[in-house]
Amino acid sequence: MIEHEREIELKTPRTAFLPSNWRYLLAFAVAILVLPVFFRNDYFYLFFNILALNAIVVLGLNLLVGSTGQVSLGHAAFYGLGAYISAIASTTFHVPLFFSLCISILLVAAASFLLALPTLRLEGHYLVMATLGFNIIVSIILGQMESLTGGPSGFPGIPKLGIGSWTLATDREFYYFIWISFLIIFALTLNLTESRIGRALKAIHEKELTARTLAIPTYAYKVATFVLSAVYAGFAGFCYAHYLTFISPKTFDIFYSVQIVTMVAVGGMGSLWGGLAGAALLSALPEVLHQFEDLQVLLYGLILMAVLVACPKGLLPFLAASASPVLSRLFHRFGRANPTSDRAHAPKRGGISPAPAEVPPARAITSRPDFREEPILKINSLSLSFGGLQALCEVSLEVSPGEIVALIGPNGAGKTTVLNAISGLLKVQGGTISLAEKGISGLSPHQIAARGIGRTFQAVQVFQALSVIDNLLLGYHKLGRAGFASACLRTSRERHEEEMLRAQALDLLESYGLRQMALCGVQHLSLLEQKLLEIARSLAASPRVLLLDEPAGGINPRESELLMGHINALKTKGVGILLVEHDMNMVMRLADRIYVLQHGGLIASGTPSEIRKDPRVISAYLGTKQAGKAGRS
Amino acid sequence: MSWSLIPHLLVAGITNGGIYALIALGYCLIQNATGLVNFAQGEFVMLGAMIVVWLHNGLNIPLPVAFAIAILLVAATGILLEKGPIRHSRNRDILTLVMITVGASISLRGAGMMLWGKNAHILPSLGGDSPFIFMNAAILPQSLWIMALSVLVLGLLYFFFHMTLLGKAMRAVSDNRMGAALIGISANRLIALAFAVSGALGALAGILITPITSMSYDGGLMLGLKGFSAAILGGYGSVAGAVAGGLLLGIAESLGAGLISSAYKDAIAFLLLLAVLFVRPAGLFGKTHVRRL
Repeated sequence: MIEHEREIELKTPRTAFLPSNWRYLLAFAVAILVLPVFFRNDYFYLFFNILALNAIVVLGLNLLVGSTGQVSLGHAAFYGLGAYISAIASTTFHVPLFFSLCISILLVAAASFLLALPTLRLEGHYLVMATLGFNIIVSIILGQMESLTGGPSGFPGIPKLGIGSWTLATDREFYYFIWISFLIIFALTLNLTESRIGRALKAIHEKELTARTLAIPTYAYKVATFVLSAVYAGFAGFCYAHYLTFISPKTFDIFYSVQIVTMVAVGGMGSLWGGLAGAALLSALPEVLHQFEDLQVLLYGLILMAVLVACPKGLLPFLAASASPVLSRLFHRFGRANPTSDRAHAPKRGGISPAPAEVPPARAITSRPDFREEPILKINSLSLSFGGLQALCEVSLEVSPGEIVALIGPNGAGKTTVLNAISGLLKVQGGTISLAEKGISGLSPHQIAARGIGRTFQAVQVFQALSVIDNLLLGYHKLGRAGFASACLRTSRERHEEEMLRAQALDLLESYGLRQMALCGVQHLSLLEQKLLEIARSLAASPRVLLLDEPAGGINPRESELLMGHINALKTKGVGILLVEHDMNMVMRLADRIYVLQHGGLIASGTPSEIRKDPRVISAYLGTKQAGKAGRS
Repeated sequence: MSWSLIPHLLVAGITNGGIYALIALGYCLIQNATGLVNFAQGEFVMLGAMIVVWLHNGLNIPLPVAFAIAILLVAATGILLEKGPIRHSRNRDILTLVMITVGASISLRGAGMMLWGKNAHILPSLGGDSPFIFMNAAILPQSLWIMALSVLVLGLLYFFFHMTLLGKAMRAVSDNRMGAALIGISANRLIALAFAVSGALGALAGILITPITSMSYDGGLMLGLKGFSAAILGGYGSVAGAVAGGLLLGIAESLGAGLISSAYKDAIAFLLLLAVLFVRPAGLFGKTHVRRL
């Protein structure tokens, strides 16, 4: 029975234009439409209208937090720019409303783009600082440029929203307009988070460097997300100006930014439904506390602290968890088993995954295939140093299609450094690296990955926030074409592409014996399974060269036997493999050729049997003869 | 524009810069101990000033005693903030902890408004109100006090961090918390200490600035932001950077206000901040981190 449901969930076609949890959205929409029945006066409309505006800004900020893990303290500035630009355009220059909307959105996008360009290149607190500075500057400018903005006393006489002679004259009309707008934006944003782009954004948040090696252009995506989230705020500002018809700089100062960030935090960072709850709570709180007069500010602060301290994942964790697959892990913590991701409910699996191919017996030179093909990966006198430490010195090596080349050496010899230089995670300081005769040194990691170099990591790099299948789908990122717009709109092409990639991913999972676990969180996988998943992910986009960093590290001999079977099977598909490994059993049995690295320089290369006999290797790597205890391999 | 104003502007800038530096040091200590940005730092400044106002103007307690009590009380507030909500938050996510300090900031501001009302208060300046002239600049004795006390505090902090075992332990915790714990240093106690010292520094800044600019329940907000910018300017977490950043910000602001436009005074400070972030993101004294997989 469970098996059956699982299949349905794996294969259900994506709904057109609507997120997969559209039922919640529908329920919410109905509630919003019915709510005015209980409104006693226009004050309620005013409150809910402002709430909707806050919710739109919060939505944008949540998108940003979810993808970069950084907050912006400048969203009030974008909100303000959206309001003022449109107000000035429509009132002072009599530009029609639609065009003043376009102008304000374009200018907000441009401002946020210019701000994001230098700051998002860096990690850490920079975005917070830059946006904070930006916000303060914008509020000062709004207050000082009196001829344009009306200065501190505000900007009156802004026309109401409307098309032609039909305007949204009352609070009630605006209520329907703004909530329908919110619902549309909310649905589009949910679509985005469930798409190829959304997966990539989650990956960027969790492990940015790893995401880059999966051909995800992390920087471009972060900038795009920032601009998008600023545009949300700009749109809300536009609506605010044309709703209240009067704006003043005070509304858009740094404290509104802080307030928006607290709404995001109270609702749970990065959770879209939670953000709505946070916006509702913190918008309502001042209204409710109003009666306490002088106590109001103190109570607001204390309640804010209490919610943050007591709710580990933000307000309404259940609502958030049921709506957002990102938070599905929460179900475990609260003991409400989610059948699709709880291992206890997972179907029994017959031991570990089946080995696909025979592992060659102990190394026999005759079984080595003939390499007449040109090397696909060529490294020519690669040098690299960290400060005064020469990590690599004139390292040259080649890998041909269908060949397994092992790179061995004592700890600290520079093996992983070679792999990091190939993937572009480290800057090459001397020498060249080329893939299929084209130089790749100097390209960024995502470009190198896109050219066809896949890799795995010494410490397995899977994404905890994503299910097994979504982890694997990240590997297919390069094959997808759907961008932000088609992901938001969930166009038929996007749906078709997603289904196709999903089907391919399921097949790949099948061949690695992981299909049963497709919808589980990766934390339920054993280390071997995580390693297999990582290999599968690096293979998804059919790389020409695969870099494996200590695949046998931390797994038992029986498991490494199985892993060897998988690696050997790749060889027949013509993938060139560069293997860094300490397990000599694995190296000697799998490798066609071996390079030995010591202190950053190559000391030997050749077939396994040559390497075994090489005196330099024996003394450097396995210990000197005098030590007499070199029989490790 | 008058160039003869420059010595005067410089003195004003250094005076404010000293205050910013003290506030920035508070951010810096907590950043180093916990990795948090403490948004309640500005409220520490306000609390320090308001407590002295209350003790001295209200209860007629002599200024030096009121100083000491205020600094101790604000240090205790810092410890309370750390031992209470921050220590007990169930979500250890940095952003959430930072938001808790925002909550604390709002609460303290609310408490300040309840206790002392919405009016601005002022304190008598130290050493009287008659300025003396030095190189064309009128210098208030209060300015000298600010400069002298800032230098003194810096010296004490330097002594504490480099000459005492406790200070060295604190540096160890900020460098490598796990390693420090393994050799028997209690990180929790030192983090509480960092909050206490931050509180004391904030209070001192507040007490010193009040005779010049006056103080109200929400006066800590802008001062806190300026101190934060100063800390960033110098390189977030760097002690020398906090001082240099504070002075630079104070002087730039003062020169900008005097020579260009006083309306855009704050904008100039933050433009400088943006410029530094774009050109040298680690700040003047900061170090860039290399992140590895």
